[in-house]
Amino acid sequence: MTRDEIHQKLTGVFRDVFDNPGLEISELTTAQDVVEWDSLMHVNLVVAVEKAFGVRFTTKEIKGLADVGDLMQLIGRRAK
Amino acid sequence: MSFLSFEFALFVGVALLIFHLGRAGWRPGLLLALSYVFYLTWSPLHALLLAAVTTGVYRTALWIESRRTERGKRAWVALGVMALLVLLFGFKSASWWLKEVFPHAPGAMKFVAPLGLSYYVFKMLGYLLDVYWEVLPAQRNFVTLALYGAFFPQIVSGPIQRAQSFFEQIKNLQNPDAEEFATGLRRILFGLFKKLAVADPLSVVVANVHANPAGFSPLELLAGAYCYWFQLYADFSAITDIAIGIGLLFGVRGPENFDLPYFSPSIPVFWRRWHMSLTTWLTDYLFTPLRMSLRTLGTVGLCLAIMINTVAIGLWHGLAWTFLAFGILHGIFVSVSVLTQKRRNLFFKNRPALAQVRRFAAPFLTFNLVAFSLIFFRSGSFSAALEYIARLIPGFKTTAIPAMRLDLSLLGISAPALMFCAVAFLAGEAVTWAARRRLWVEWFFARPVFLRRTLYYALITAVLFLFKGTISFIYARF
Repeated sequence: MTRDEIHQKLTGVFRDVFDNPGLEISELTTAQDVVEWDSLMHVNLVVAVEKAFGVRFTTKEIKGLADVGDLMQLIGRRAK
Repeated sequence: MSFLSFEFALFVGVALLIFHLGRAGWRPGLLLALSYVFYLTWSPLHALLLAAVTTGVYRTALWIESRRTERGKRAWVALGVMALLVLLFGFKSASWWLKEVFPHAPGAMKFVAPLGLSYYVFKMLGYLLDVYWEVLPAQRNFVTLALYGAFFPQIVSGPIQRAQSFFEQIKNLQNPDAEEFATGLRRILFGLFKKLAVADPLSVVVANVHANPAGFSPLELLAGAYCYWFQLYADFSAITDIAIGIGLLFGVRGPENFDLPYFSPSIPVFWRRWHMSLTTWLTDYLFTPLRMSLRTLGTVGLCLAIMINTVAIGLWHGLAWTFLAFGILHGIFVSVSVLTQKRRNLFFKNRPALAQVRRFAAPFLTFNLVAFSLIFFRSGSFSAALEYIARLIPGFKTTAIPAMRLDLSLLGISAPALMFCAVAFLAGEAVTWAARRRLWVEWFFARPVFLRRTLYYALITAVLFLFKGTISFIYARF
């Protein structure tokens, strides 16, 4: 998958999880930038990302994510 | 030595003198020695246990880090976590076993778990998992880790500070500057005032209604349930204020525990604003791994993870049916809220008039659900809680007391005292709200010094006037 494809699909997942159809994300987006993105939503988001991209992450991997860019890299490594 | 005693004030005074006169490099060591002196006044045996736990965790973290394979790391972290959990549950359940199974055993009622066990075990568990998840390198400095576990302002009632934030501050532990020192003193003063002016007068009302629910009308019992909500918050946020304030005097900034929980529009939001250092801890170290493990179960997995999390919150306070009921109730509240959130949002989006009503109705509903769950939290037994709830419903139990009677003298508080409580509470919340948002702060500090000092002296006078000896805090027993 290209970065653009990942970004496009990921935006859809974010909009669905945070119930915000106008939400825009970039690689630099962090939990600070999205209202309601707390630890509880973070894990819901990860589960939704796994489902959308057909991948699996470990708890250790999701603990190491600092921003959307990290998440995109992780998806890129796993998704075919 | 209670947080609210002359002995403790004296101890803090002497500790400050030693700390501030000591060399910069000695400060962590001095603070550790002082923390153990404080802990030894409670129990030398339990101090030994704390030292042993610290040593074990110190070595385990280094072993986790040094293993080359994931399997080896996992084995050590599992061992460390299991050992800490066995210790915690062993002590926490001992009094339950003695009470439920061996009620006549000698000393059954006198069993006391080590002071601050729940707090320091949670700190150490978080640290080990952080090292395993590579969020944090293993701490090489034993003094720093030992101080993290034993830091005396936080050991009685938290807040549960994260290892990373604590280690960073200890690495370069400075004498606080004048402003930080003054902030610490103000926090302590506000905490003392809140405890004595709000929590303690309300505790009389709460004790009365819970001692004999049959002697009160449904309205009085409702007032009693509300009073407990306010008492618990005032009491717990007071000791947190004092703990954070004392920490600041020694140059350590602790995490906040509350963010105006009364105004929460839903139960999940309430848990993000109440006892935040515990709930964020549980979210990171329990809920996240659980949710990840149970994700294949879909919605069932989500609800199960939520339920285990809230039951853990309940049982963290002690192994009792009442705390279990409190946890299960919140598990149901949170699950229902999370599962219906999208549909509710959609419903109100298309009905703007109703959405306005929701803005006020939602916090009111949340407030009442929490007050209801706290009946279990406060009651001495599960049956006592059910009795209280049954009498809360007008006409459910036969009684000659009019349902709408509200006799303050029977509740144990006078009208002026209740007004004073309410004003003191609202003023405290307004100050917290404004300080968090940096509103009025510049305005306040631009006022003439004598005006500000008058306020502080008024508070000090009130504290001295209201203080009647050593007083204990609710959360000091968890």
